[in-house]
Amino acid sequence: MSKLKHVVRHEFRLTAANKAYVILTILGPFLIFAVTVLPSLLTQEPGAFAAGKPIAVYQAPEALRGALSASFATMDIKVESVDDEAVAKQSVLSGDWVGLLSVEAGWPDSGKAVWYSKSGSEVALYGTAQAALEAAAREIKIVESGIDPALVAKVLQSPSFEVVKLEAGGGETKAGADSFFSVLMTALVFVMIIYMTVLLYGQMIGRSVVTEKTSKTVEIMLSSVTSRELMFGKILGLGLAGILQYAIWIGMVFVLRTVVGPVFNMTIPSGLSMVNVLWLVVFFILAFFLYSSAYAAMGAASEDEQHLGQMAWPLLIFLMVPFVMIGTLTSNPDSRISVILSIFPMTSPIVMLIRILVSEPPVWQIALCLGLLVAAVAGMALLAAKIFRVGILMTGKRPRLKEVIKWVRVRG
Amino acid sequence: MVTVENVRKSYSSVLAVDDLSFQAKPGEIFGLIGPNGAGKSTTIRMIMNIIAPDSGRILFDGKPLAESDKSRIGYLPEERGLYKKAKLGEVLEYLAAIKGAAKADARASINTWLARFDLMEWKNRKVSELSKGMAQKAQFIGAVAHNPSVVFFDEPFSGLDPLAQDQLLGVMTELKEKGATILFSTHIMEHAEKICERILLMHKGRMVCTGTMGEIKARYGKNAVQLEFDGDAGFIKHLDYVASVSAYPRWIEVELKEGADSNTLYSALAGRLKVRRFETVAPSLHKIFITQVGGVGEADGTALPGAAVSDSGVGAQAGEANDVQA
Repeated sequence: MSKLKHVVRHEFRLTAANKAYVILTILGPFLIFAVTVLPSLLTQEPGAFAAGKPIAVYQAPEALRGALSASFATMDIKVESVDDEAVAKQSVLSGDWVGLLSVEAGWPDSGKAVWYSKSGSEVALYGTAQAALEAAAREIKIVESGIDPALVAKVLQSPSFEVVKLEAGGGETKAGADSFFSVLMTALVFVMIIYMTVLLYGQMIGRSVVTEKTSKTVEIMLSSVTSRELMFGKILGLGLAGILQYAIWIGMVFVLRTVVGPVFNMTIPSGLSMVNVLWLVVFFILAFFLYSSAYAAMGAASEDEQHLGQMAWPLLIFLMVPFVMIGTLTSNPDSRISVILSIFPMTSPIVMLIRILVSEPPVWQIALCLGLLVAAVAGMALLAAKIFRVGILMTGKRPRLKEVIKWVRVRG
Repeated sequence: MVTVENVRKSYSSVLAVDDLSFQAKPGEIFGLIGPNGAGKSTTIRMIMNIIAPDSGRILFDGKPLAESDKSRIGYLPEERGLYKKAKLGEVLEYLAAIKGAAKADARASINTWLARFDLMEWKNRKVSELSKGMAQKAQFIGAVAHNPSVVFFDEPFSGLDPLAQDQLLGVMTELKEKGATILFSTHIMEHAEKICERILLMHKGRMVCTGTMGEIKARYGKNAVQLEFDGDAGFIKHLDYVASVSAYPRWIEVELKEGADSNTLYSALAGRLKVRRFETVAPSLHKIFITQVGGVGEADGTALPGAAVSDSGVGAQAGEANDVQA
């Protein structure tokens, strides 16, 4: 047992000193921040582009000016009329105006409206301008046709509609498009994190086993420890490094929620709750042990890194399926395929996590998923230990599947 | 005491080790000698319980190797490999730790060894930066830093310069004097000749011969004597136990008949010649190796008929095996 401890410590150290590990640990939170918080920050304050500077309009009809002023007022941007287009263009270039909307005579029936700006990339601004142009054009045409604008407004008024999420406890929350978007983003980020870490650690273990095998370090190791101690030492060592990484990330999320959020008055996505983060950790740990055992066995059975890459394809596919299907899974979290994938152990860690985030799967399904996963981890570990024991010393030829099956059947 | 009894191991169609038996005793350096592919490494791996023999037994002090025994064994495998990305000092401490050595003891021992092999300044550098010879020395330290009482060195001298080879020979002699059981394999006869008390020559998985260095030399030597003298040595070739001579005016090499004792010749010389030098000619292990292994190769790859003589066990009687050379 004490030998296992030494192996675990050694592997943990080697991993923690690895550059990929350090980079991922540091960049992970930025990735979470970038994908979840940043978009909502930007959509909240598109006016940040303007930094208090006004928009110029040239030759805009009265109705258009009104529509523009009303639209841009929500962004704290003023709309001002100018008399000289050439001078206004100069002012846009020098940065005094954010942009210039120049309307040709005869608009909207003939002639066009042109948005001039320095970069041409402020979608939020000219998107707003475009919406205002459409509204104004419609109003102008309605008036020209002699129809009562009030009547038109009444006809075109949208019926009111709400999306409400029912909760098991009897509660109800309003689930507008915004909150669904945030949950989707959180799900995407969580899936990405699990996918990346499980793949990274799995491959690290596989590579470490192959390297140890090809460099013959394994002989020295086996003169001191058993093959089981070596394999589980590696898995546990890397697992600890992974858990440390997650702990750092969770700490960052906590700081984001409790300190950064309130201070900068940011809305933290509702999906980024502590409960969801805990689920992430649970599923990471289970997926990690499942996949790293498989990678350890494949590392032991393969000839070199290239061979490992070829053999590990099936594992990669199981990991990628939920990642690729994330759109379907989030929009149909309780469809038959989602339920099956969330119970089948090779895909369940990611799929069940998605389902828990975007829906409320029945407790029995979660229990079944966890039970099967734990059983699969135990089974995979036993299987891997047997393959590892024989494979790690097998050099000089690539074993066939038949031989590998024979290794598994050998007693002991 | 390490006992190997009738051990056999085959890899698919190749018989790597065939019915091998020997014993290595405490305070003794035992040499496992043979050409490449003789089965030396396979034998050592089986003793280390890294691979299991197909049949036969391997005993440590009369008992099969238990996991707990591993801590008193040091092992230098044939192919070297240390964790390249880790620092040398850390790797060595790790290797000692999984042998169950206490941290402080291991550190002190590692420092002593590093200083001895001039590797102290490399202690905090990555293993990947070491030269081949340095890595070899480092690996050796890894095998002995936990003060094992039994050590197995598989080709310990390969990759070392002559200076380092001598250093290693010295270290091995010291370990032996401390009472360690040392078993090492080599195909370089000079090393075996310098430090081995007993050897086992193997070829194609089978034992060719085994015994103390003296026994082996006596058994496979061409029972000859070289003389430097003043006087007339013409009578020597007529002695009935002399097979042949190559004579010069003041030097003669006498080949004695089978079973004859050089002492008989020495007594016969008394009073008839003034003997300046009398030397029984011991063949070098190198020559025995070449003769034995070369002979095996010619005999359809099967073991020598003489091998049967040695089957009687460790330390077979000298003299019995002379027909081997036929």
